[in-house]
Amino acid sequence: MTAFGRRGSAGLLQRLRPTPIDVADLLEVAEVVLPVLAGPQLRVELVRRSGAGSALLVEEDERSVRVGLGELADDMTGAGVAPTPEAMTAALRAWVASRPVTDAAATTDGIAVLDWADPARSAVGWRVVVRREELTPAWTPLPGTAPGRVEEIRSAASARAAEVQLALRVEGPVALWSHPSMPVLATTALAAPARLLARVADAGLPVDDLHVVVTPQRPVACAGRSVAARLAGETSEASVTLPWERLAGLPWL
Amino acid sequence: MSVLPSGDTGSEVLVPHWLASPERVQLAAAVRSALGDPAVHPVAHIHLQNVLTELHVAAARDAVWPASAARVRLATGWDADVLPVRLSAAELTAVLALCPLPDGLRARLSGGGA
Repeated sequence: MTAFGRRGSAGLLQRLRPTPIDVADLLEVAEVVLPVLAGPQLRVELVRRSGAGSALLVEEDERSVRVGLGELADDMTGAGVAPTPEAMTAALRAWVASRPVTDAAATTDGIAVLDWADPARSAVGWRVVVRREELTPAWTPLPGTAPGRVEEIRSAASARAAEVQLALRVEGPVALWSHPSMPVLATTALAAPARLLARVADAGLPVDDLHVVVTPQRPVACAGRSVAARLAGETSEASVTLPWERLAGLPWL
Repeated sequence: MSVLPSGDTGSEVLVPHWLASPERVQLAAAVRSALGDPAVHPVAHIHLQNVLTELHVAAARDAVWPASAARVRLATGWDADVLPVRLSAAELTAVLALCPLPDGLRARLSGGGA
């Protein structure tokens, strides 16, 4: 998924030999679409700069993003967005929806999910994300944010994660937790380890030496140690297998 | 699906056998039937239990990481319910030696990983 959403790609041919998106066309679409996207705290505007081309400015509370329209057009072309008004409109909406998350939004709507802690995908940690249409952008505290404030946002996000309703599927000795509409929320199952243990026990699975197989954005699997090893051992996909005791100590990213 | 060096303990290498849902049901029934026999050696008993576990684990793997099996199905044209059931050499031997398998399934499993 690109910054322009899942529908940012118009098909193989468009991706292989993209028809460039013309800045003037994008400007026309932006002039119509941007006023609709703005909100009470959200400023979405075109900034005209003489001699330097227009820029798209998105400002919300303490967060701000600016991009030159030419650069945005190039990025859209590279992502395979078709040069039609419909596709450009959708791409602009998605770009605005992927804007940085404000502290206020993280405070009221943040949910804690697990994400990869490093590019090598060897460890996982908690991140605060918010739901915005189909996307779940992550919140990053700005440098200089008071530690108490960061802690407050993270605690609230963990509490909200513990309340997410997940679907449980029992497959023999494996319990699988998933979210029906937003796969990234599956890892909220691990926000309340004691409750996870109780639910696995209620499902009839043995809970001694319970292990959890975690792949960010995929369903979470719980099973005994040897079953978990069998599940995760033969796949080429990245995952982290953790004993239940390690869940309480996962770091914030 | 690695080639085993001769003489090595290959018991940790799990070879995938691509089986459709009806075949997996047949395999489970055959394994359960063999487990009901009190004359089965304890070690073979463990291998057969592991085969039952693997039938569940195969479904769980596909739920967590559907993409790799989906790619294989796309390339081969197999039905959506075909899953890789990964068995060690010892587990496969126990199945073939002790379980009452339908002929078609026995041939599939004896043919090695496919």
